Amino acid sequence: MDNFAFQGLIGLSMAMYLWLISAGLTIIFGVLRIVNFAHGSLFMVGAYLAYAFYGQMGLPFWLAIILSLLGTGLLGLVMERVFLRRIYGIDEAYQLLLTFGFILILDDAVKIIWGGVFKIPPIPAFLDGSWPVFGRSFPIYNAFVIAVGLAVAVGLWALFEKTWWGRTVRATASDREMANAIGINVPWVFSGVFAFGAMLAALGGAIGIPVRVVAPGIGAAMIIQAFIITVIGGLGNLKGAFVSSLIVGVLSAYGTLFFPVFELFFIFVIMAVVLLIRPQGLFAR
Amino acid sequence: MKKHFAALSVVFFLSVVSLPASPAQAQCQLGVPAIKVGVQGAASGPHSDYGRQIEMGATMAIEEINAAGGIAGCKLEIKFMDDENKAATGVKNARYLVTDWGAHFMVGTDSSGVAMALGPVLAELKRIHFFTHAATHRLTEDLVAGKGIKEIVRVSVPVYQDAIIAALIFKDRMDIKRWANIGADYEYGYTSWNLFKETLKKYRPDVEFVASAWAPFLTLDFSPHISAVMAQKPDAIFATPWAGEAVMLLRQALIQGVFNDTKAWWQAMGGSVDVLEGISAEVQKDRFKGNLWATARYIHNWPDTPENKAFNERFKKRWVRLPNYSAETTYSAFFIMKAAVEKARSLETAKVIDAMKGMQIRNPGGVRTFRAEDQQFIYNVPAGRPVIDAKYPIPILGDLKVFAAKDYYRHPPFTPVAVTK
Amino acid sequence: MTGHPPSRLAMLLLAALVLALFLLPWVAGRYPIYLAIQVLILAVFSVGFNLLFGYSGLLSFGQAGFFAIGAYGCAKILLAVPNLLLGLAGGVAAAGIAAVVLGILSVRHTRIYFSMLTLAFGMMIFSIAWKWRDFTGGDDGLVGIPRAPLEIPGLLSIDVSAMGHYYYVVLVLSLLAIAAMYRLVHSPLGLTLQAIRDSETRAEFAGVPVRKYRLIAFIIAGLYAGLAGALLTPLENTVTPPVAHWSTSAEPVMATLLGGVHSFAGPIVGAFFFFMIKDVIVRYTEYWLIWFGVIVVALVIGFPGGIMSIFAKRRLPWRPARPSSTQPDKPAASQRHDRISED
Repeated sequence: MDNFAFQGLIGLSMAMYLWLISAGLTIIFGVLRIVNFAHGSLFMVGAYLAYAFYGQMGLPFWLAIILSLLGTGLLGLVMERVFLRRIYGIDEAYQLLLTFGFILILDDAVKIIWGGVFKIPPIPAFLDGSWPVFGRSFPIYNAFVIAVGLAVAVGLWALFEKTWWGRTVRATASDREMANAIGINVPWVFSGVFAFGAMLAALGGAIGIPVRVVAPGIGAAMIIQAFIITVIGGLGNLKGAFVSSLIVGVLSAYGTLFFPVFELFFIFVIMAVVLLIRPQGLFAR
Repeated sequence: MKKHFAALSVVFFLSVVSLPASPAQAQCQLGVPAIKVGVQGAASGPHSDYGRQIEMGATMAIEEINAAGGIAGCKLEIKFMDDENKAATGVKNARYLVTDWGAHFMVGTDSSGVAMALGPVLAELKRIHFFTHAATHRLTEDLVAGKGIKEIVRVSVPVYQDAIIAALIFKDRMDIKRWANIGADYEYGYTSWNLFKETLKKYRPDVEFVASAWAPFLTLDFSPHISAVMAQKPDAIFATPWAGEAVMLLRQALIQGVFNDTKAWWQAMGGSVDVLEGISAEVQKDRFKGNLWATARYIHNWPDTPENKAFNERFKKRWVRLPNYSAETTYSAFFIMKAAVEKARSLETAKVIDAMKGMQIRNPGGVRTFRAEDQQFIYNVPAGRPVIDAKYPIPILGDLKVFAAKDYYRHPPFTPVAVTK
Repeated sequence: MTGHPPSRLAMLLLAALVLALFLLPWVAGRYPIYLAIQVLILAVFSVGFNLLFGYSGLLSFGQAGFFAIGAYGCAKILLAVPNLLLGLAGGVAAAGIAAVVLGILSVRHTRIYFSMLTLAFGMMIFSIAWKWRDFTGGDDGLVGIPRAPLEIPGLLSIDVSAMGHYYYVVLVLSLLAIAAMYRLVHSPLGLTLQAIRDSETRAEFAGVPVRKYRLIAFIIAGLYAGLAGALLTPLENTVTPPVAHWSTSAEPVMATLLGGVHSFAGPIVGAFFFFMIKDVIVRYTEYWLIWFGVIVVALVIGFPGGIMSIFAKRRLPWRPARPSSTQPDKPAASQRHDRISED
C-alpha cells in the first residue's frame, strides 16, 4: 500500500511537468487559435537559458529561472510579432508549418551556441535530499516540482478569473471581433498571450535542469506529450489540461509499476478516441 | 633555332626532375590520388557527442598518419556524415560516400540499428567498414559468423562488455542476491539484461531478478522507473540507459536515496567521458558511497602506458576534451587500416581482410588481436568505480577489475541471445 | 488548378523531361540514379499528400503511417516470396486497407482536429512498428530485404537487383501514378474536392456527400503513400520504425510547400528541390536543420505559393496568373471555435 501511494506521488510530480508545458500550449490555442508546434522548442530554450544563467554564469537558481522566463518570453514575442502576425490572414495550415519551421531552427541554434553535448548543472543545495514519506525517500526536488505546478495552477486560475488582464484575454478568446469592437487592442493581446505561453513552457524547462539533461531534442520529446494532454483536456481548456495532466502523469507512473506493457501506444489511442468522440475535450463545459 | 630549343628542353627537363620532392608529394604506391575514408556517426540528437567524438578521433588519426607519410605513401582523406542514428540515413550516406564520393573504406557508426542495416549493403558495395561503436552482438555473430559478410570488421568491444563483465564481477559478491533492472527499452537494453542474467545464473543459482522497468529512448524522467524498481527492495541495480540518460538516471536515483538503500549499481557505459563529466561533482562528494560500478569500450586511464598517456595529451591539446571511447576506437581503426593496407599492398577488400588475419596491433587502448571467425579485433577493458584522481580533470575509473578478453568475449559456435523483455 | 489544358510548349517540355528521365542511367553514375529514385518516391508520396491538402484542404500529419505500412508490407512479402510485383501490390493494398479504416475515423473532422487526429494515428503506427518486435523487428526493423526480380510466373522474369534496372521499375510506376493523379484531379472527382475545400456549406447545399468525397481523397492519398513506401523497401533493403515517425510525415508537407500547394506539379517540383537541397546541405555542414527551418519560414512568409508561384507570376502560357497569397475564403478563426459539430 505504501509503495502504491508513493508511486502516486511520483506520478503527481510527473503530472506537474506535463501541466507546465501543456498550460502554455492550451492558452495559446485558446486565444490565438494556433497550435504552436514550436512549444517544445520553447521549453528547450527555457532550459538552455536557465542553464546559461545558473550553470555557466553561476547566478542563483531562482534568478536564473526568472531570467530564462524573460528571455524566452522575449523570443516568443519576436516569433509572434515578426513572423506569425504576417500570416494570420491565410490558411491556418501555414501557421502550423511556420511553427514547425521554428522547431528546426531552434533545435540547431541551441546546438550551434552550446554544442551538441548534453549539459547538466549541479543541483541547488536546497533541493538536494529527500523526505521520508510512506516509508520511502521522496525527493525534495519532486516536491518542489509539485509545488511549482500547483502554484501555477492557482495563479492562472486567479489571473484569468480575477484580474482585468485575465478578463481581457478571455474576452478576446471567445470573440475577437467583439473584443476589438469594445476597444481591446487585440494584436497586443495576441502578442502578450503568446509570450506568456512561451514563458510557461520555459518554466517547465528551467526547473528541470538540475535533474534532467539539457540537450538538443528534448523539446521534441515533450511536444508530443503536450499535444496529447491538451487534446484530451480540450484545446483551449485550461482546467481540462490540468486534469488530463494528472490523469496521464499518474497513470503512466502506475503503468511503470504495474503494467510494464502500458506504452505510448495506448496514450495515442486515448488521444485519438477523445478527438473522435469528444474533440472539445473530456472536460469541456 | 632547333639547337636552342633542344637545349632549353633539356634544361627544363633537368630542372623539373631535380626539384626536391617534398614529403607531402611522396609517390602514392597504390595508384590513387588519395585514400578516401567515409566516416559516420550520430551528430544530431541527444547522443550527438558520440558522433562528434568519432569525428574527432578520425580527424586526429589522419592528421598524424598523413604527417608521417600516409598509408603506403598515399594521403588519407575523410568525409564525416551525420547518420542521425537512423538506419535509412546511414545506408543513404554509405551509398553516397562509396558510389559518388569514392570512399575506399568506411569507419564508425554509433547505432546498432544502422550497423545491422549497413551490413548487407556493404556486401553489395564491396567496401570494408570498421565498426567503432555499434555494440550489438548480432553484427558479428549473425552477419559475419553466420552470413559470412567479410566487409564487416569490428574494432570496439561489443555488448559482452556491458553485460558479461558485470556478471563476472558480481558473482563474487555473496551479499548481493536481488537484482533489479532499469532498462533501455530497445534491443541494447534487452540483450544486455538477458546476457547478464544468463551469465550470472551460471555462477550463482541463488540470485533473484526481482524487478524490471523499461524506459523508452528519450526518457527525461526516470523517477517512476526508479521508484517502481526500488519498491521491490533490490540489493543492486543493473542500468542500461546510457550517455546523457545515464547522468539523469543517476541524479534522479541519488535524490531518491537509492545509493543509501542498495549495495551496488552497474551503469552501462558509465566510464564514458560524457558521463564521468556529468557525475563529476557527485563523485567528488562521494555521493555514490563507492557503490557505483561501470566500464566503457575504452577508458582514458587504462592501460597505464606511455602510449595511452601520450594519446590523451595529444587529444586534449587538439580538442580540449579527453577522448571518449568512440574516439579511441575510431582512431585505432585508422591505424589498423594502415597496417592492413600496407601489408596487403592493395586496397582490395579480399586482400586487406587477408592481411588482417593473425594481426596483433598496439593501440592507445591496449593490444588488439584479430579473430577471423567473427572479424573482431579483440581487446579488453577493465571495469571499476568512478573516483577522483588529481592527475585528470574528470573522474576516472579506479579499483579496476581486469579480465582477459577471452574470459568474457563469447566464442563460436554462437547460441542466440533472447532479444525480448 | 482549373481545367486549363497545358499548352503545346508545356507538352513538349514534359516529353523532353520524361525522355531525359528514361535516359538517365546511360549518362549518370549510381549515386545520381539512387537520388533520382528517392526523388521519384518522394514525388509520388507528395502528389498523394497534396490531393488531401491542396485539393481537399485537409492537412494530414500522419501520412507516414501509410508510407510505413506500404514499406513494411512489401518487406514482409519480399522476405517470404521474392517477387517484386507481389511485394509492391501487397504493400499498397495493406496501406489502402489501413487508409479505409483510419479514413472513416479521420474525415469526421477537419482543420486542426483532423491534423491532430492524423498525427495521433501516424504515431500509433510508429509505436506499433517500434514495439511489435516479433513482426516488425522492433527498433532494429527488417533488414536484408532482397531487391526481388520482377516476375510474372510463366511470362517473364527480370532481374532488377542493379540500381539502374530498379530505377526503371520506379520510374514507370511513378509516371503511371502521377499520370493517374493528373487525370483524377481534372475529373469531376477532383473538381468536387476543390469545391468542398472552397466552401463546404455550399457543396453540401448542392447535394454533395462531403464526407464520402473526403474519405475517397484520404484513401487515395493513403494508397499513394503506400506505393511510395513499398518502392522504398527494395531500394534500401531495410525498413525501420522512423519511416512512420511524424518527421517523415513532414517530408511531403515540406516538399509540397516548397514546390507549391496550388499547382499540380508543385509537389513534384518540391520533391526534387527538397531532396536535392537536403542532400547538398548535409555534404557541407552538419547543421542542416537550421537551413531547412529558415527555408520553411521564408517560404511560408514570402512564398506560400511555393516555387510554382514564382512561375505563375511570370504568366507562362500554361499557368493562369495567381497572386501568391490568395487563399480560398475561410470563415474567421473565432467563429470556428464552438462549432466543432459543423466539421
